[in-house]
Amino acid sequence: MGKTTWNFCRKSLLVIGVALLPYFVVGTVHAEEEGLSTETKACLKCHDKQGEEKILDNKEKLSLHVSTKAFEESEHRKTDCEDCHSDIDAKNHGKVKKPIESKRAYSLSMKDSCRECHKKPFKVYEDGLHAALVKAGDEKAPLCSDCHNSHTLRSVKIATPIEETPCANCHEDIFKAYARDVHGLERAVKGKAAPICGTCHKTHDVKAASFGDGIKDNCLGCHKKATAQHKDWLPNAARHFEAISCPVCHSPDAKRRVNLRLYDNAAKKQLTEKTGVPRFEKRAKAADLSNIGLDEMALWSLLTEFNRESGTQNAVLRGRLEVRSGVEAHQISEKSKAVKDCDTCHRPGAEAFQSVTLTIADPDGRPIRHGVQKDVLNSLTAMESIRGFYAIGSTRIKLLDYALLAVLLAGIGGPLGHMTIKWLFRKARERRLTAQVDTRTMAGDRRHDEASK
Amino acid sequence: MQKLYINPLPVRIWHWANAIGFILLIATGVQIRYLDLIQVVSFRSAVIAHNWIGFVLIGNFFLWLGFYLFSDKIKVYHPELSPTKYFRASFRQLQYYGYGIFKGDPNPHHMSAYRKFNALQSMTYQIIMLLIVPLQFFTGVLLWDVTGYASMVEMFGGVRVVDTVHVLIFIFFTGFIFVHPYLASLSHTPWAHYKAMITGYEEIEGEAPPGGVSR
Repeated sequence: MGKTTWNFCRKSLLVIGVALLPYFVVGTVHAEEEGLSTETKACLKCHDKQGEEKILDNKEKLSLHVSTKAFEESEHRKTDCEDCHSDIDAKNHGKVKKPIESKRAYSLSMKDSCRECHKKPFKVYEDGLHAALVKAGDEKAPLCSDCHNSHTLRSVKIATPIEETPCANCHEDIFKAYARDVHGLERAVKGKAAPICGTCHKTHDVKAASFGDGIKDNCLGCHKKATAQHKDWLPNAARHFEAISCPVCHSPDAKRRVNLRLYDNAAKKQLTEKTGVPRFEKRAKAADLSNIGLDEMALWSLLTEFNRESGTQNAVLRGRLEVRSGVEAHQISEKSKAVKDCDTCHRPGAEAFQSVTLTIADPDGRPIRHGVQKDVLNSLTAMESIRGFYAIGSTRIKLLDYALLAVLLAGIGGPLGHMTIKWLFRKARERRLTAQVDTRTMAGDRRHDEASK
Repeated sequence: MQKLYINPLPVRIWHWANAIGFILLIATGVQIRYLDLIQVVSFRSAVIAHNWIGFVLIGNFFLWLGFYLFSDKIKVYHPELSPTKYFRASFRQLQYYGYGIFKGDPNPHHMSAYRKFNALQSMTYQIIMLLIVPLQFFTGVLLWDVTGYASMVEMFGGVRVVDTVHVLIFIFFTGFIFVHPYLASLSHTPWAHYKAMITGYEEIEGEAPPGGVSR
């Protein structure tokens, strides 16, 4: 292609482009204007009235108000009302009374309409803890609409103001703690750059935070250098990571406890209760009739029962240090205030070892606990039961301390006693030595005399 | 009084390095385990020092092992294969330490270059050097990196079991560190065996038995 032809083509394309520009602009504006369909506008005509509400069978008031402005700004602006409310018959809507049992029942009935469009997150939600609680009949377990207001929801790309985070509706105490900790304070300043509930706990795939390694991997997902940084100063850093949850050190004011978790050593995962066949609580209560916490023998017999049931020796106890409540897990401080002093845990009577629980995971992963007497941690007879948990200094076996004392006494007393007896016999030895010298001298003299003769 | 060359240089280096190392390991070990009673340095410093000294002593152990494996001096560790002879000699030695020594009886054991240890010592040191010391090093290494050696820790019954074995041996050596120097002072003079472990030469009363290098 010649240079002249090329220039001609370029100029022509430019002219066509400029000529078509108004059509693109007008087209875009027109599309924006077209956000709400005629049907939706018709619905909003009645529903955009403050105070519109319906009295439900259980006397709850269900607000029927939908703000046109909020809906236009919401992610659902291109969705017609009928897409979700398909059960409504336009002919008799508002004329025939349709009974609704309760707000909860209504949310449950509307849940499946979310699935139509949001198949993936819905599947993830259904595999999560919240959906499991719903299935179990928990009236407070969240449904889609408990977290997402379908008429006002905004894009996830827009940071939710911290005070509007839906998790706070149920987890208020935890959220308040979070809002004051290092992550919450940072969120208030930096917005999306700082973590909020879903960053660590996932939004739909919510699991029990204490199950398995908890959310440690999520911590390390952001704090990528943390493993290497801990290795720089912390002896046996990998072991600490394995046996201690992050807030134990990073929530310095939190109360801690030892969690002895029933663990399947062959499958390498926590033991969980079988659905519909609860065994743990029954067995724990039977072994702890006085309800003062399991002692070492009770712990052993409980473990034996789990092993007898499976016909293996795979059920073991794995100890883990953790904070005592979800609130304390959300009191993460600045790095400089984290516990760095080994003495906090590695001394007898350390606070972290004053509370001990035995745990099995329920089918959803949430812990079912029973108290254990703290002396178990220092008992020789519990050696087999808690063989996988040991913290230098704080969980040392008392009997070994007595053994050391006995050996020290024998090691010092033995030589001292021997030395004393030797000293007491010194004169007897001297007498014997003198007698031996005399005997030798006499024998020598005799030989000398005989030689002289 | 004869002088016999009993302790070659590698053995003397190993012995004193081992002695200093064991005392430091016991001191740091006591601080690690009994932080509530003793705190000379921080827990972390004690752990780091304990680990380093442990590794130095593992190296030192191989110096000892190498020397004995590649020299004829290994004969000093050869066990008495006749149980009758062994028990008779052990009983005589026990009788000496428990009674004869007070009366001024002579030591029934006559030292030579290849018979450095009495019957009690030869059995004790074989057990110590070939079983207890390696086991202590082994459990120490496992505890140094519990996660890295997780499968081995699990094989031995878990971290609590490994630690208990380590502590039991620590208790044994704590007793040893008091008894050993005292027994070493039970020569014809209190310092004779100490000097021998510095110079290499033991002073032997009477004539030197054959096989020893005397001067």
